[in-house]
Amino acid sequence: MSRGVWLPVVGAFALFVLAWKVVVVVSGLPPFILPAPETVAQRFVEAWLQGLIWPHFVTTMVEIVLGFAVGVTLALLVGYGLARSALFERLASPYLVAAQAVPVLVLAPLLVLWFGPGLLSKVVICGLIVFFPVAIATMVGFRSVDARLIELGRSLRATPRQILRTLEIPAALPNIFGGLRVGVTLAVVGAIVGEWAGASSGLAVLINLARGSLFDIPLMFATLLTVALVGIALYLVVVAAEQRLVGAR
Amino acid sequence: MTASPRIGSLRLDGLDFAFPTRRGGRLPVLDGIDLTIRGGGIVALIGPNGCGKSTLLRVIAGLLEPDRGGAFLDEARIADPDPRIGLVFQEPRLLPWRSAADNITYPLELAGWPADRRRERLSTLTELVGLDPAVAAARPAELSGGTRQRVALARALALEPAVLLLDEPFSALDALTRERFDLELLRLWDRAATTIVIVTHSIPEAILVADRVVVLSPRPGRVVADIAVDLPRPRTIDDLDDTAVSRIGREIRHHLGDPEAAPAATTSATAAASMAVAS
Repeated sequence: MSRGVWLPVVGAFALFVLAWKVVVVVSGLPPFILPAPETVAQRFVEAWLQGLIWPHFVTTMVEIVLGFAVGVTLALLVGYGLARSALFERLASPYLVAAQAVPVLVLAPLLVLWFGPGLLSKVVICGLIVFFPVAIATMVGFRSVDARLIELGRSLRATPRQILRTLEIPAALPNIFGGLRVGVTLAVVGAIVGEWAGASSGLAVLINLARGSLFDIPLMFATLLTVALVGIALYLVVVAAEQRLVGAR
Repeated sequence: MTASPRIGSLRLDGLDFAFPTRRGGRLPVLDGIDLTIRGGGIVALIGPNGCGKSTLLRVIAGLLEPDRGGAFLDEARIADPDPRIGLVFQEPRLLPWRSAADNITYPLELAGWPADRRRERLSTLTELVGLDPAVAAARPAELSGGTRQRVALARALALEPAVLLLDEPFSALDALTRERFDLELLRLWDRAATTIVIVTHSIPEAILVADRVVVLSPRPGRVVADIAVDLPRPRTIDDLDDTAVSRIGREIRHHLGDPEAAPAATTSATAAASMAVAS
């Protein structure tokens, strides 16, 4: 990447930090309400070097990656089924919409009760929250495949498998990646909400600790920063995969 | 004309075809089409919009099954798409995520050809359709309309078909490019030795390329005229100024139902006028 691409990004970030600093100075808020950016930055580096954040980071990452993988796998299969079968769509969509309409925040305590405070409940919550946008995007993607391309495939005697592999999947891919972009950020939310509802380790647990017994608000902000960075990094991974698989068309 | 030793002969025998309508009825599109095309011939199908020309082409391509009668390739019934038949659609219909080269070799890939044989065939095909090898790596979106249709033509020829079906292939191109493509099609026909059936809206195009112009009626399509184009080959654009062309053109127009274009014998005045213009 050239300097020209990054310069505005860095500039905007600097502006954000500056605005933050101005608010702190002008309002005179104490550090336990709103710490200054340099305080947070310092605590962020410290906490990482001390190994305070690391174990929680690992826990949350495992939850996100597994939950995302499970949710996406199921969503791709169900999304394809929804696109293929009108009957399946009629039968399944009320449940899908209902599951989506109930806030995951409300479901999380129940799921922790059912699946325990460990990894499993977080994977379920993550998978659940990722599922809907990806399934819908997959359905829309497979529905929007140009019928003329399918006719071309038929005229070239493509087998149903070949049509799926060489026509339908590549044609649906841009839509699917639209769903994955939404899904991956929701996966972070899912893991955090799941940990909130009951866990012994994870970034949300650390936020709770920093806010409560440790009363270390700069640490809480440093952890929030970590969560945000995880979200951005995972989003960029999806975008990079999209560029590789979809590319310029 | 009838008994030809060359492969790629087509016979359509009493073809009826109807599309099911939404209300459960049937919309007849083709009505008793009888047509014999010798191997290596070029036939242009012409007719008003919606007369079933494209449907007829799809029946020959094995994509649609006729309700009655049948289409035969070298006397074998066409029931499914056949590798001996190549099809070029009105729009290029390229896969936008593939390069031009990978679009051309797509039929070979589906047929299970190994990569090295595909590469070999690719160079033959690009040469055959006059495609600049420099654009082989480009995506369809980066190509001009004419180049895209060239890619589509190469793709249709990939499996060395005995019959090439073209559904208004050059109708999206500007007039000059279109004429150039028509002439290139003739050159290609010379070299690839296929039977060609071309659906067209353009009377000059039909006359320029075809041995025979088959005129279809408004829906349901029936053959209303089968006009021989007895111009010598190889043909050039200048041949379109020939008096024989205006005679044939008028005959086609007459069968298409244009009241202004009565057969040549009864309108000697207009014939003389157009002759004067032509010379």
